[in-house]
Amino acid sequence: MDDADRIQAASKFLLQSPPGEINDVLNDVRNIISDDDSLQAGVLPALREYNLAQFITADVPGHQHQSIVSDAARVPSGSSDEDDEQSQDRYWDPRSRTSFRFDHLTLETSDPEHVEPDSESEPFRVALENAALAYLASHYHDGVVSVFSTPGSASRFTIQIVANKYNPNNFWSGRWRSEYVVDTGAKQVTGRILLNVHYYEQGNVQLSSTHSLALALPPAIAPGGGAAAATKVLALVEAEEGRYQASLNDTYAEMGEKTFKGLRRALPMTRSKLDWDKVLGYKLGAELTNSKAGFSAA
Amino acid sequence: MGDLVDSMLDLMRRLPPIHVEENVASLVAMCPDYADDLLGSVDQPLKVMTDRATGKEYLACDYNRDGDSYRSPWSNEYDPPLEDGTVPTPKLRKLEITANEAFDTYREMYYEGGVSSVFLWDLDDGGFAGVVLLKKILNASAPGEPSGSWDSIHVFEAAERGRQAHYKLTSTIMLQMVDRASGAKDESVTHASARGGAARDSQGDAKREGKVTLSGSMTRQTEQDFPLQEQASHISNTGRMIEEMEIKMRNLLQEVYFGKTRDVVFDLRSIDDLEKARRQRELQKELVGFIKR
Repeated sequence: MDDADRIQAASKFLLQSPPGEINDVLNDVRNIISDDDSLQAGVLPALREYNLAQFITADVPGHQHQSIVSDAARVPSGSSDEDDEQSQDRYWDPRSRTSFRFDHLTLETSDPEHVEPDSESEPFRVALENAALAYLASHYHDGVVSVFSTPGSASRFTIQIVANKYNPNNFWSGRWRSEYVVDTGAKQVTGRILLNVHYYEQGNVQLSSTHSLALALPPAIAPGGGAAAATKVLALVEAEEGRYQASLNDTYAEMGEKTFKGLRRALPMTRSKLDWDKVLGYKLGAELTNSKAGFSAA
Repeated sequence: MGDLVDSMLDLMRRLPPIHVEENVASLVAMCPDYADDLLGSVDQPLKVMTDRATGKEYLACDYNRDGDSYRSPWSNEYDPPLEDGTVPTPKLRKLEITANEAFDTYREMYYEGGVSSVFLWDLDDGGFAGVVLLKKILNASAPGEPSGSWDSIHVFEAAERGRQAHYKLTSTIMLQMVDRASGAKDESVTHASARGGAARDSQGDAKREGKVTLSGSMTRQTEQDFPLQEQASHISNTGRMIEEMEIKMRNLLQEVYFGKTRDVVFDLRSIDDLEKARRQRELQKELVGFIKR
């Protein structure tokens, strides 16, 4: 395996990291590759891909809140030097109208700049953001939400939610991601909910779930509708997510009833454990069993 | 460089169990010198093979492998055939045959299907060791119906001490369950929306699909002494130990798969309105204060 293949394999490992464990995976990979220089440069694209896909949160410089670093948050590179990847790693937080540089290895933010929002889409984006923050406080213990407008469109908005719980002392971690693209022009909401849970005390057990949805947007919901329309959009999200969580309960019940029980019984049909002497007796032949039976009867 | 193997094992404890085979293959390709350490320490799903002589199915793993061939517990033959493949001594083979028959009964009683295999080998210090393998696959009865698989790997060492025998058992169970139907079922929305009734009028043209996968493995160890009347006692002794262990681990798996992972999800997002609960608590506090006054 040449160096490029090794970096490629290491990148694949990184992309599979459970919630909150990317540094642990990176440490293992460092040990296995044992060539820090080629590793650091080589795995940067994988770290970027992982962070963007996982809705990694960043501290917005100069503000008290966090924002989501994702493809939707990416600031198009103005740099003419396409090779300079660092210059491309700028993301923005619409809530504070701030863009910043993001380091995909250290997860640190720097170099904040003011961003002037698009005047046409901003009012409804702000309305969605306020409704989304209220919704977040209602259903997430510790979540982050970002609402993005779409460059060149005043009718398309992206709501992203992420909630993480990392508990390495008790060997578990979990991540909830959800995303809704609200298109008031096409009168449609498309969304997805992604769940990952890792439990690793004397084992490695993972829950991974994906859910996608497409809903028609009621005609009353339009950017002109302001706060009332935005609240209705988030009511849709609330209903969908509540419904999904309830259906997850049903899935657990079904897996327990059908799959788990179907794979292995808790006890045999006889409702008692095996009589191993008998099992061996039967298997060793009828003669032996008969003679034993004769003994005990006597 | 035990260090390196530790890193590999830590990695395998973190990466999704559903991809264990390709990830192990990747690691072996990256560090071929450590292939044996890795293959000997990471449990992978058991392969089902068919004995050419008897037509009976058996299980393949690292313990009945010699080169690229696997030995069947039924015919004692290697597939692909080997001229000089390792086989147990005649005495141990006799015990192996009986053990396979006994655990075949055990399999039928608890799994009502599936495949089992037992392999035994001599140890340098005079004792012997063995592995009891059980596997069952549930295929989806229809598209959208749940599916799953269960793999048990019980490795034990037996040491005879006069009329007693001491056993060390390491058990790993790999369990995987997949349900594609989740959330796609179109039951009516029972959650009245707190923020306007927008949810209800969208029911007509909603599309949903999803997949839920629970997969993983857990490992436990135990040691125990049993009386030894005859050679066959080894089978009833390990049988009791393994039965006890599987009962314990099935409970544990149930707790972790259906309890723990669900709790984490409901810890991330609450079905109930947290704001409302907060307001209610505050109101209650006020009332209590009011009554006290």
